[in-house]
Amino acid sequence: MREHEKNFLANEREHDQTMETPFLLEVKGLTKHFGGLAAVQKVSFEIRRGEIVSLIGPNGAGKTTIFNLISGVYGPDSGDILLDRQSLIGQRPFEVCQKGIGRTFQIMQPFPHMTVLENVVTSGLFGRVPKISMRQAEEEARELCQLVGLGDRQGAFPRNLTVADQKRIEIARALAVKPKLLLLDEVMSGLTPIETGEAIKLVLGLRDHGATIFLIEHVMKVVMGISDRVVVLHHGEKIAEGTTTEVANDSRVIEAYLGERIDEREEASC
Amino acid sequence: MAAAILMIFYPKLVDSYFLHLTVATFLAMIMASSWDILARTGQVSVGQAGLFGIGAYTAALLFQKAHLHPVLGMLAGAVLAMIVAAGLGYLTLRLRGIYFSITTIAFAEALSVIWLMTPRVTGGAMGVSTPPLFGGNREQAYYLILMILALVIFTVWFIESSRLNFAFTAIRENEEVANVMGINPTRYKVLAFMISAFFTGFAGGFYSHYNTYIIPYEVFGLGISIACLVMPIFGGLYTIAGPIIGTILVKAIEEYLRVTFSYGHQIAYGLILVVVVLFMPEGLLGLWKRRILPLWGGVRP
Repeated sequence: MREHEKNFLANEREHDQTMETPFLLEVKGLTKHFGGLAAVQKVSFEIRRGEIVSLIGPNGAGKTTIFNLISGVYGPDSGDILLDRQSLIGQRPFEVCQKGIGRTFQIMQPFPHMTVLENVVTSGLFGRVPKISMRQAEEEARELCQLVGLGDRQGAFPRNLTVADQKRIEIARALAVKPKLLLLDEVMSGLTPIETGEAIKLVLGLRDHGATIFLIEHVMKVVMGISDRVVVLHHGEKIAEGTTTEVANDSRVIEAYLGERIDEREEASC
Repeated sequence: MAAAILMIFYPKLVDSYFLHLTVATFLAMIMASSWDILARTGQVSVGQAGLFGIGAYTAALLFQKAHLHPVLGMLAGAVLAMIVAAGLGYLTLRLRGIYFSITTIAFAEALSVIWLMTPRVTGGAMGVSTPPLFGGNREQAYYLILMILALVIFTVWFIESSRLNFAFTAIRENEEVANVMGINPTRYKVLAFMISAFFTGFAGGFYSHYNTYIIPYEVFGLGISIACLVMPIFGGLYTIAGPIIGTILVKAIEEYLRVTFSYGHQIAYGLILVVVVLFMPEGLLGLWKRRILPLWGGVRP
């Protein structure tokens, strides 16, 4: 009887739209094949509001594929992705964006014939729901350029900027859609130590402003330093999930990274 | 302002032959600018003749069979071309790059074949003739085409200064990224194609009445499709002035060659395309900005 009552209450909760779930993003049994290759296999995890979660794994583990599945670039073979309890399956990339997911690309892809400011304005003009005016989009884009450290390069063209600055454009563009969830694909790789430090400060600052961040990262020092939780992929499967300490001591994770302990490996490469 | 006044009194200042050349040039400007509107989304149409022909035949047949006023016929042709572009675009603008271009060529050719095969409805290879527009009054024809040209230029200006410019440019530069940033690429490409088709269709309708005689081989022909893209490429893409300047020069060269040799315009198109592709990828405007302006101490970009 009691058990029954509990279930009933749980169901009631499920249907109560005003109730906030702790989870902003829920990924359930996500699977994607490319030809015969299983790029992502039955991967499940959740991200809570306000968290910084890292997705790590060796090259080819399926990290970017998961980003592409979440942002609607690919459709999954099976599984579900829920943002605020609403399924994103079948939504095209621009619809996913308008529902509140902003993302950056691993290989920087600014629009080459637009200035830095225009790049950011474009994203704000079309990624926001409800729509905002051109004037407001420009004002917000200027603020974002300041925020990411491109304040004095708003009129420059992307090809004249450093790798670090091009990554800043990517971040500003993703932020311009006022995302509930920010997907950052290796925004720290290829940066100098000083630039990496600035980028970390930026990401932590965004979190303090209430952003929820899901990032793919190779630089272990960064992952260990800023993540609330870490999800580890290997050959398309999730092999571990937990706090940074839990993950760093997980035997399967250590095995996946060729027998080195993660912190040692990082020191060795420094 | 001075230019506007000049345009209004222009017919009083030139002879009939020159007025005719001007009308033909304005018509070509409309087609060039319309092609450029679509090109702003990164789509290369090689089948504008299909839309031009739809406009031409709609206007001519509506006059012949229903005695509709020529200007209303032109509008009907423009609207029909726009509707056809919406359907064709919805199906084919999902394809990327060259596939859309190939489809547009096939589209224009297919229409030409359909016309030849249905002579009872369309006049077939014999074509359709209509009485001269405005009873042969070239001045009135001039003012009509001037108005439409002004409307096209206003439309391009509006696109450039609105959010459409951001959407079109983003799609042209990287469709996948534009999509992830909240832009629905198919929607904006279809919209651009429809705007382009409306004015190209109107141009076709005007041509049929102004020329008094149309045949499928010509109005659906590759020559018109090529003309639509040579002029903006020559002048400079994605600008208001580029297609206009390109058209003036192409038409001038074409007329000179036509008088000197026959089939002159075909030589002109071929030569211009080769020269532009090889030596001035940004067209005349680009050449002006990069080579000529610096001679006066301008800054090289």
